[in-house]
Amino acid sequence: MTTTTRAESDGDAVDVVGVTKRYGPLVAVDDVSVRVAPGEVYGILGPNGAGKTTLLRMLFGLIRPDSGTIHVFGRTWAHDGVRTLDHVAGFIESPKFYPYLTGRQNLEGLGLLDGTWDGRALGDRIDEALDVVDLVGREDDRVGGYSYGMRQRLGVAASLLRNPRLLVLDEPANGLDPAGIRDMRALVKRLASNGLTVLLSSHHMDEVEEICDNVTIMSRGSVAFHGTISDLRAMAPDPGHLLRTGDDAQAAAIGHDRHRDVAVEPAPGGGLMVTGPQHELSSFVADLVRAEVPLLAFTPTRTPLEELFFMLTDARSEEVA
Amino acid sequence: MSTTTLTRPDAAAARASGGRTSVGLGAAVRWEARKLRAQLRTKALLVGALLAPVAVVVVVSAQSRPPKDTLFGRFATDNGYAMALLVLGFASQWILPLVTAVVAGDIFASEDQHGTWKTVLTRSVSRSRLFWAKVLVAVVFGLVALVLLAGATIAASLVVVGQSPLTGLSGQTIAPHAALGLVAASWATAAPPLVAISCLAILFSVWSRNAAVGIAGPVVAAMVMQLVGSLGGIEAVRPYLLTTPFEAWHGLLAEPRFTGPLVDGVLTSAVWSVAALAAAYVILRRRDITGG
Repeated sequence: MTTTTRAESDGDAVDVVGVTKRYGPLVAVDDVSVRVAPGEVYGILGPNGAGKTTLLRMLFGLIRPDSGTIHVFGRTWAHDGVRTLDHVAGFIESPKFYPYLTGRQNLEGLGLLDGTWDGRALGDRIDEALDVVDLVGREDDRVGGYSYGMRQRLGVAASLLRNPRLLVLDEPANGLDPAGIRDMRALVKRLASNGLTVLLSSHHMDEVEEICDNVTIMSRGSVAFHGTISDLRAMAPDPGHLLRTGDDAQAAAIGHDRHRDVAVEPAPGGGLMVTGPQHELSSFVADLVRAEVPLLAFTPTRTPLEELFFMLTDARSEEVA
Repeated sequence: MSTTTLTRPDAAAARASGGRTSVGLGAAVRWEARKLRAQLRTKALLVGALLAPVAVVVVVSAQSRPPKDTLFGRFATDNGYAMALLVLGFASQWILPLVTAVVAGDIFASEDQHGTWKTVLTRSVSRSRLFWAKVLVAVVFGLVALVLLAGATIAASLVVVGQSPLTGLSGQTIAPHAALGLVAASWATAAPPLVAISCLAILFSVWSRNAAVGIAGPVVAAMVMQLVGSLGGIEAVRPYLLTTPFEAWHGLLAEPRFTGPLVDGVLTSAVWSVAALAAAYVILRRRDITGG
C-alpha cells in the first residue's frame, strides 16, 4: 500500500489511504487506497456489495472508518469537520428529498444548508441547475410525484448548486431507462469537460469505460485492480462469441484442426463458445463459409473488459471464500 | 438534458474567501422551520390547539352535572377560571405530551423515514448544528402549541362560562382580575415539563429512528409515570417523575401560596431535558448513516 504524506495529498482531490471499515465480522472495506487527481474522471467499479458505497459514505463523513485516512482537497473529517466537504457535492445511492416539498423548495432548503442566504442569487442558481438537468417546468411539483429518473436529475441539480470542484456520483445511472442513462452519461462528460473532478461508482463496465480516465475495481471490500482504462484494456482477454450453426460438430472440427489460437467449446445453453484473437476469428468464420457449414448466428457474449471485470471480481470472491 | 452549463463561481473570489464555510445554526433553524411549516400535520395540530379547547369547553359547560370529582370541576360550569383550570388538569395528563411529541418524536425519525440524512449531511452543515436546530424547532413548536391551547382555553372558558370570583384550593375567594393572572400562570407552569417531554421524544426519535416510537414513547412514558405517581409509598420518587411538575400549579391557587413544587418541577424538568438531549446527541454524533 502506498504511503502518503499530507503534503502530497494536498495536491489530490481525493486521497484515501488504507481505509478499513468493519461491521462485526464483516469487513465492508478492507485496506483500500484510492487517489483522484484534480480534473480527473475516476471510476470505482465493482459488483453490488463490493464496498463502493461504504467507501463513498466514508468520504462524505456519513460513516467513520475504523482505520486509514481520507483527505479531500487536503482536508480531513477529524481535523476540518464539515469543511472537508467545502468543494464537494454529490449523492450516495439514489438521491433522497422531502416528498411533501416541491423540487424548488427542496433545492432552496439545501441552498440554505450550503450557506446561501441571498434569495435572489440562490433562485438564479436553482434556475440554472434545473435547466442543466432539464427539470424546468416541473420544479413546482411536489417531489413525491417525481419519477425515479427525475429524482436522480434533481440530485444532480442539488449537487451543482454547491459549485463543486469534486462531484461524487454513486451509481448515477441506476434505475434510469436507456435514454436517461445516455443523458446522464452525456451530462457527466460535459461537466468533466468543464474541468470538474468526477468520482463515480458503478457496476457497469461500459459506463466506466465510456466516462472514466482511471478506475479502481473493488470486490468483497478490497481493491482487485487499480489503473488506467488503457491498462485495463491491455489486460482484457480475447473477446468471446456464441456460434450457432447447422452442424456444430463440423464447425468444432474446423476450429480444432485449422485454428490453434481459437478455442471452440460447447456452450452451456447450446451452440459453441468461440474465443480467440479478432483476426483469427475472422479467418475461422471464413473457413466455415468455405466449408459450407450453415451459419445461424455469431454473436459477441461479453465485451473483453466485461470479461476481465468478471474474472477479477470472481477471482477475488473465490479467494475470499 | 440541456446543453447549458452552470455558471462557475469567480475562482479568485472563492480562493480569497477560503472557499465555503460551515453553516451556522440560524440557517439550519430556518430550514427546519420551513419544513415544519410545509407539513399538513403541523398546521392541523396548531389549528386543533386553537379549536379543540373551544369544543371541550362548550361540551363540559353544557353538562347538567359538573365533574365534581376533579380539581375545580365542581365550579367549572359556573366559573370560566375554574373551567380553564379543569381543562389544564385534563390536558396535562396526556394531551400536552401528545401534542409536543407529534413533532419532537418525528423530527429526527422523519429523516430516516425519507432517507434524507445523507441529503442534508452532505451539505455544509454539521451534525451538531443540525441537531440543535431540530431541538430548538421542536421545543419552540411545543411551546407555541401550549400558548395556543392556553389562550384558546382561557378565552373560550371566559366567553362561554363567564367571569366570576374564583374559589381557590384553600377555599379563599380570588377576584376575577387576580384569577386571570393565576390561571395564565398555572398554564405557564406546564412549560418546563412540556420541554422535558419534547426532549424525551427527541431521544426516542433519535434512538429508534422510527416516528411511531418517537411519538408514542414519551406519551406512554408519561402515562406510566402518572400511574407510578398515583401509587402510595413512593414519596421519595415522586418529585423526580416528569409528570409531577405538571401539578406544580396547585400551589399558586392555595392560600398562602407555595412555590416549592414549582422550583422542584423546573429542576426536575431541567435534569430530564439535559439527560435526554445528552443521550440523543451522543447517539446521533456516533451513528453511521448507512440508510437512505
